Amino acid sequence: MTTGSIEQSERTSLEPPVTSTLLLDWVSTLDHKRIGIMYILTAMFYLAIGGFEALLMRIQLSMPNNTFLSPEMFNQLFTMHGTTMVFLVGMPVLTGFANYFVPLMVGARDVAFPRLNAFGFWMLFFGGLLLHFSFLTGSAPNAGWFSYVPLSSKAYSSLQGVDYWIIGLLIMGVGSVSGAINIFATIICLRAPGMSLQRVPLFVWMMLMQSILIILALPALNSALAMLLIDRWLGSAFFDPTRGGSAVLWQHYFWIFGHPEVYILILPAFGMISEVIPVFSRKPIYGYTFVAASSVAIVLLGYGVWAHHMFAVGLGMYADIFFAVGSLLIAIPTGIKVFNWTATLWGGEIKFNTSMHFAIAFLLQFVIGGLTGIMFAAVPIDWQLTDTYFVVAHFHYVLIGGTVFALFSAAYFWFPKMSGRMLSERWGILHFWLWVLGFNMTFMVQHFLGMMGMPRRVYTYADNPGWALLNGISSLGAVFMAIGTLVFLWNIGTSLLRGKIAGDNPWDAFTLEWATTSPPPPENFTVIPEIKSRRPVWDLNHPENADWKIEKTPVDRGIRPNLPKLAAWAFIASEAVFFLLLLIAYVVFNTRSGEGVTSSVLDVTRTGIFSLFLISSSVTFWIAERFLRAGKQSAFVLTLGLTILLGITFLAGQAWEYTGLLTNNITINTNLFSATFFTVTGFHGIHVTAGVIALFVMLMMGIKGNLTADKSHVFGAVGVYWHFVDVVWLAVFGIIYLGLLQ
Amino acid sequence: MSSYFDLTSGLWKWSSPVWLLVLSLVGLYIIFHHRALGKRSVFFVLAMLALALAYVSPIGVLSDGYLFSAHVIQHLILLLIVPLFLLLSLSESAAETLFRQPSLNRLGHVMAVPFVGWLSGLGVMWFWHVPSFCNASTVNYSLGIFRDATFILAGLAFWWPIFSPLKRFHLSASLSVIYLFSACLGCTLLGIYITFTVISVCPAFANPVDRLGIMHFLYDQGMTPATDQRLGGLLMWVPPCSLYVCAIMVVLKRWYAEMDYLNSPKTAGATSSLREAQS
Amino acid sequence: MNSVIPVLDPASPQAEAIHNLFLLVLLISAVIFAIVAGLILIAISRGRQRQTLPEQDFGSEKSEIFWMIGPVIIVIWLVAISANLIITLNAIPQADPDGKTDINEIDLIVTGHQWWWEVKYPKSGVITANEIYIPADKTKKFRVKVTSADVIHCFWVPQLGRKIDAIPGRDNYIWLQASEPGSYQGRCSEYCGAQHAWMNFKVYAVTDAEFDQWVASEQLANKQPKLLSPLANSGKQFFFQATCPQCHTIYGTPAEATIGPDLTHFAHRKEIGAGVIENTPENLALWLKDPQALKPGCKMPDFKLSDEHLKQLVAYLETLK
Repeated sequence: MTTGSIEQSERTSLEPPVTSTLLLDWVSTLDHKRIGIMYILTAMFYLAIGGFEALLMRIQLSMPNNTFLSPEMFNQLFTMHGTTMVFLVGMPVLTGFANYFVPLMVGARDVAFPRLNAFGFWMLFFGGLLLHFSFLTGSAPNAGWFSYVPLSSKAYSSLQGVDYWIIGLLIMGVGSVSGAINIFATIICLRAPGMSLQRVPLFVWMMLMQSILIILALPALNSALAMLLIDRWLGSAFFDPTRGGSAVLWQHYFWIFGHPEVYILILPAFGMISEVIPVFSRKPIYGYTFVAASSVAIVLLGYGVWAHHMFAVGLGMYADIFFAVGSLLIAIPTGIKVFNWTATLWGGEIKFNTSMHFAIAFLLQFVIGGLTGIMFAAVPIDWQLTDTYFVVAHFHYVLIGGTVFALFSAAYFWFPKMSGRMLSERWGILHFWLWVLGFNMTFMVQHFLGMMGMPRRVYTYADNPGWALLNGISSLGAVFMAIGTLVFLWNIGTSLLRGKIAGDNPWDAFTLEWATTSPPPPENFTVIPEIKSRRPVWDLNHPENADWKIEKTPVDRGIRPNLPKLAAWAFIASEAVFFLLLLIAYVVFNTRSGEGVTSSVLDVTRTGIFSLFLISSSVTFWIAERFLRAGKQSAFVLTLGLTILLGITFLAGQAWEYTGLLTNNITINTNLFSATFFTVTGFHGIHVTAGVIALFVMLMMGIKGNLTADKSHVFGAVGVYWHFVDVVWLAVFGIIYLGLLQ
Repeated sequence: MSSYFDLTSGLWKWSSPVWLLVLSLVGLYIIFHHRALGKRSVFFVLAMLALALAYVSPIGVLSDGYLFSAHVIQHLILLLIVPLFLLLSLSESAAETLFRQPSLNRLGHVMAVPFVGWLSGLGVMWFWHVPSFCNASTVNYSLGIFRDATFILAGLAFWWPIFSPLKRFHLSASLSVIYLFSACLGCTLLGIYITFTVISVCPAFANPVDRLGIMHFLYDQGMTPATDQRLGGLLMWVPPCSLYVCAIMVVLKRWYAEMDYLNSPKTAGATSSLREAQS
Repeated sequence: MNSVIPVLDPASPQAEAIHNLFLLVLLISAVIFAIVAGLILIAISRGRQRQTLPEQDFGSEKSEIFWMIGPVIIVIWLVAISANLIITLNAIPQADPDGKTDINEIDLIVTGHQWWWEVKYPKSGVITANEIYIPADKTKKFRVKVTSADVIHCFWVPQLGRKIDAIPGRDNYIWLQASEPGSYQGRCSEYCGAQHAWMNFKVYAVTDAEFDQWVASEQLANKQPKLLSPLANSGKQFFFQATCPQCHTIYGTPAEATIGPDLTHFAHRKEIGAGVIENTPENLALWLKDPQALKPGCKMPDFKLSDEHLKQLVAYLETLK
């Protein structure tokens, strides 16, 4: 257990050394606050695009039999609207706030890995650009944001739209995971002295939960995307029912990611609300431990309820009952949170400003969205209302009524800290009412449209009684929201120029970010206040009522795990989910009585021998690590070289095996065995190759003498990865070559 | 056709030898806890009740060759409920005197290694549901007793790192969460396998010997072998996972109440060095 | 006729059961919302007037647990009634004692296509499209097998009960039943491509006698009059010269393709293009003139037919009774 002091001292030298223009300053920045702002600006840009897409759709739907948009255009618009709002607005804006505020709230100087942070942002930025570039090719993706197969397969979507979608999401996924690992490591390793994990502000806690969700859920999407891409480009049949593939597997994999994604979008909103409500009620959060623990329950249960998006698929009554139980159980921790927020308000001295307006609207609207969620968890109701406008209303109540309103609340709350100036309350209240009115107009009536039988994603509808009126109201509401957004932008613009100067802590707020100047200096803090409770700044400003006098919280034991190793573990956890899902796909497709090529074509003995090379490379690596720590540089270089050689030998064995198969005309598109075999072993091979390259870099550093005993934890982090690759191979060998699960 | 009342009386087996075990356990418990029969003894009563019911009640009778789902319930009681309540019923002081002996202390430490508990808990569950073992243990009486004994012992090992009466054997909070969550994952996979596999996991239940003449009654209630197995799979899946999530909540509650190292010198040292690093 | 809010106007025992559950949950939700909203509003109106620092209340375990009791009970109760209903509505054919499913138990096979529904009665051999006839009977349930020929669709008749996805390579089952005679609007409820919006169908629940009569009329291999009018006759010739038979079937003729809807009894149908327009001779001409104008993206191309050919084709198709 080291304390992270090495990383801290290294970071100061990371500031770009060039004297440069403003633009270059921002583009090359490694400062978490600037990257956070760039995330938020990117999200706002895409919010404008996604919102514009929504407006076009609402114009098309405002009248029956409208021909404003062609069906193709409409289908592209709703696909891009969903994808943009989830991946390019929801996730980046939350990551942005987290980037800006998590280090401040835990009293750190920056995030754990500033370069990785910038990398994550630029991946997202360019992934988003690539996705939207598809519009210029004339065929944006049009298979819906969950791109169900076979509709998204080559046979039914022959244009490149879906390919842009896949590649865009993969790139953005890399950015999201690296961002999440960064936030995770920052919270675990860089908390200021005194801030035990039991004392972090709830926003930080929720971001911790969110980063765990991202790390473990995104690989499910990546594995599905990889298989779809192989289907589309290399002609395999993972998702082609006519060749034995499964149309339902995609849905499972997508929702194993997709349901946690909902919590990825809502948990940080819970965190923001849990910061805003106490401050403006002049009370601590009611039942901190219950709010925090209930989000752990949500994270855990969140992985076990994906199939409640699939009740109409006909999974059979047992699966339906199981997923109904899981989904209904989530109502309990969610209910606990609502209770705690209400109890925090209860008996408080309410400062009813714009931020609080949005927070209260969040509460009421989120409760509506939650209650309709319970309806969907009661399976038979889902059988009527899923895939109708009722479900559209439901998730917009959660994601707009919930997340977006919480974001506005947080924006009014934190803008003074970020800019040094207050936002105008008068414009703010106008913004609030436009949004509340517009939002509820747009989406409340959609509940009724759903009950009237209007399916979602229809580009037009017949003039059924009542449909035109309700759709008209819905479209009108969208205009209100659009105007409200312009008011918000105007408010930001004018306030930046001549808003009231905020000062360090305009709200008399509680948490560490208010202990520094507004906006904070590049190094964040000159002095970090003593942390003896969950509200250090409150304790500072109200010593007579200090929390630690009333409420005892666990003391910081000063345990901060080693940064590179923690990040390596988080990374391989993510990778493990990826391989687990690929292996499950292998088992699913190969337990059926296979025709044609099966695993019997593989030479088990030969590959077994090459496997021994890989396994022994783990041993030599371990020895090398010992030598490094003992300072025996030349022995270290020798054993590390041996490790690389063993890895390369394994790769050579794999190449030999592939050549044999390919010369026998067994390729990835032969059948489902070959497709799953090449996919699993291919991805493993890529990982081994990446590992060999990393080891080679280590070797070079070792030879030059840059890798010494005091940096052995960096080498250890590479080791975590290398051993992981070997463990995965053991599983691959057992399942594919030895047929253990068949 | 026998009437429902005849059936219900046949479904209770008061003469089960489990009473011997219950009696001896009660004896042992009183010997160790004779000084402090506090609130914890409620857990002991519950444990004994669950243990007895697992054999005496219809669960025990039906799990003996009739219903796979009843058999799963019996497993879960033996593996999860009885050991959990047993551990909770032990008071810290009594356990301390017991585990002061070096050999037992060593055993406690071995059981506190997460892999031991995890593998034994999940292991017995998977092992006894390999079709041939499942069948053999249902048909062969003494093998059945051996299986049930392994369930209780594995259950004790599984819960030990979480709920052992002595804090020094507890896992850290984060490891506990991973321990329990991954166990939940293991149960889920087994449950999915049992629920959706086309083969009969335990063939003895597919063609039961109708000793009590209740087979028709069961079939009339819709409990055909296929339904029965799926219900069993579902039971293997939902209740343990719910229990594990509850246990995670208990672990978190403990973690939030961790306040007993306020003045340890080690903490102070680490904190000050961190402070230097930050400023 | 069609109900304005079909989900709230059930016309089958299954739909009724779901509807009752829905109303119950709606009621509970309304009560919960009223309580939460009421508490919040009271807290705010009181709190806005408060000018002193409130008591710093960190919460109590007891009150958390007390307030948890209600939700826990509701959740358990919801699980119970949902599970019960899931089991009741289950339509998957039960295995016989020898382990084989009884195929005869399937009354109707519905297959989704981009963007129309194929309807097959395996017992009587009747094949039609986008229109389903069932006897209106409280006691008799039709077991429907739902599947798909291309992408995923979803079979949904709101007034008659649950929806179910039509998935290629997979057979799903539901009960179809109507308590009262009437026509019930059905729609595709899973996004399936360009014309997802126009993939409607109707279920006609008729009396037993009418149903038998309908089956008999559909079973007869195309009782077209022996003597076609000259116009219709040239339409028939054109039909078989042109590419029509490459997609459509007319029973008893060389046209046997199954890409498009079966046209054997086309003139019986009430709508064209899965609900796009009513089936009248004028509308049919409109449709044939350019299907892409009425249903952009649909699989039937614009053949750029001359007005003369149009008239002939319409005359022929109108004879397919």
